Amino acid sequence: MTTPAIRIQGLTKDFAVGMRGVKLRAVDGLDLEIADNEIFGLLGPNGSGKSTTIKIILGLLDASKGQCGIYGKPSHTVEARKSVGFLPEAPYFYRYLSGRELVRFYARVCGVPRVSINEQVDSVIELVGMTEAAHRRVGTYSKGMLQRIGLAQALVHDPQLVILDEPTAGVDPLGAAAIADIVRELKLRGKTILLSSHLLAQIEGLCDRVAILHRGKLVREGRVDELVEDGQAESLVVEGLTAEGMVAVEKAICEQGGTLRRVEKPRLSLDTLFLNEVKQREASRQSIDAEEGGAS
Amino acid sequence: MSSAVESFNRIRLIAGNTFLEAVRQKFFNSLLLISIALLASSTFFQQFDFGTSELKFITDFGFGALFFFGSILSITATTQLFFNEIENRTALTMLAKPIYKLEFLAGKFLGAHLLMLCFTVVISVVLAGMLFWRETELMAHLGDEFTGGRLIRYGDVFLFGFLQWMKFGILAAITLFVASFSNTNLYTIVVSFFMLIICQLQYIARDAYSSLEVGIGSWLVQVLGLVFPNFQLFNVGEQLVFGVKSGLSVVTTLQITGYGLVYTVAFILLAQLNFGRREI
Repeated sequence: MTTPAIRIQGLTKDFAVGMRGVKLRAVDGLDLEIADNEIFGLLGPNGSGKSTTIKIILGLLDASKGQCGIYGKPSHTVEARKSVGFLPEAPYFYRYLSGRELVRFYARVCGVPRVSINEQVDSVIELVGMTEAAHRRVGTYSKGMLQRIGLAQALVHDPQLVILDEPTAGVDPLGAAAIADIVRELKLRGKTILLSSHLLAQIEGLCDRVAILHRGKLVREGRVDELVEDGQAESLVVEGLTAEGMVAVEKAICEQGGTLRRVEKPRLSLDTLFLNEVKQREASRQSIDAEEGGAS
Repeated sequence: MSSAVESFNRIRLIAGNTFLEAVRQKFFNSLLLISIALLASSTFFQQFDFGTSELKFITDFGFGALFFFGSILSITATTQLFFNEIENRTALTMLAKPIYKLEFLAGKFLGAHLLMLCFTVVISVVLAGMLFWRETELMAHLGDEFTGGRLIRYGDVFLFGFLQWMKFGILAAITLFVASFSNTNLYTIVVSFFMLIICQLQYIARDAYSSLEVGIGSWLVQVLGLVFPNFQLFNVGEQLVFGVKSGLSVVTTLQITGYGLVYTVAFILLAQLNFGRREI
């Protein structure tokens, strides 16, 4: 049996609030296991304990009760953090450094060997699509660019586990799609990804498994397909059916003991529609540019 | 690579980055410029010299400026450099890396201390330059009074600067200690300034209570004397610069340096005790 990337057992975190130290329970008896090379989504509304859980995993907070391990090592140890890359929510980096300098700085902090540092830095900058803007100061970056350079700094020491706290918060759909593509690429490279979000549409097509937290407690956990499927119904998607054909199908369903619940047009999600439209226009603009370039 | 070397490298990196951040701050540059301007203009403040010679006046003025502005800079820069990391949440990214909190604190301290080294060197060089210029002019006008050669021992200016830098180190460590449990910039700065005043004036309390017989009062004074470093030990300006030979032996200099180092390390370790438990 392989060691899970993250194993959380009976995790509880209480914060003392106010002068009297009244306890506020942020995480309540959480049990979770995340397998290696899995994209795992931690979902929940604001204040559900996602960020607290992530901070405990990273050793930034001590648990009040319970245990948390990363690849078999206690998560609060420096040794465990060697295999972890982290992108915080709404990251803010040293504004006076260029993107490349920033990634290089974190690479050195993480102990990337001097001989391979340039190659490693260039590689992650390319992976996140920031090659052209890498020389610019971080202070001039847009929100989406900050997220990308944040991803680069999280990946620069080639960690096996990547933790992303609200990676697409405040990012436009194009940026969010680009981040999702990077996450998929990381999975192909054998990495484990834990991401937290409350933007469910973006998570749905990305995660292998999800856990839903509410007020610090685990509400549901499982594979996305299993959680969202309606086990009581089947759907047929048909094309070119006439009105008579429709009546015949409905009759056949009744004869077979089924019930036709509803008839509706298949819909694209707004996200997909937006991305398709923008990508189509980008492609046609590029082909026009190429034609003009060829003509001149 | 051994873990000690790796640890040292991480501290060096954090210190270098902290220093880079500090020198890009307007506050540091403004304070440095004000200090230099004040020093350069010291020759125009002669009506306040209360009867001392011009060179002595410039020396005292320069040492005073170094202490005054250096103390302000040491407290405010350390506070700002620490809280910038917390408030901007860059500490979150940094501490999620494989580094110890003590390395982070040590890096912050060394970055701030490096900044103070720059400040001290610049002020000492400007002061030495001012003194050299005025002494040369005075020698040209009053040659008779300089029969034994130059009056000023310029090495002592830098020795005083070095000892002040050691003192700024304790002050930065104290500030870091206060910042480790404080939640705001303002609180840290105010409490650190109070600590500075206590450390600067604790000798008065020692003198006042030195006549106390052994008892709780005497014991309390001794404890306070240990807890708060005595900054008067670093105020050796009166013994330096003028005279035939240096007023401070190598042994005394090393003793003061050792005293400073012990308190600096102690306050950084105390800061670590708080910061280790702090929730980022």
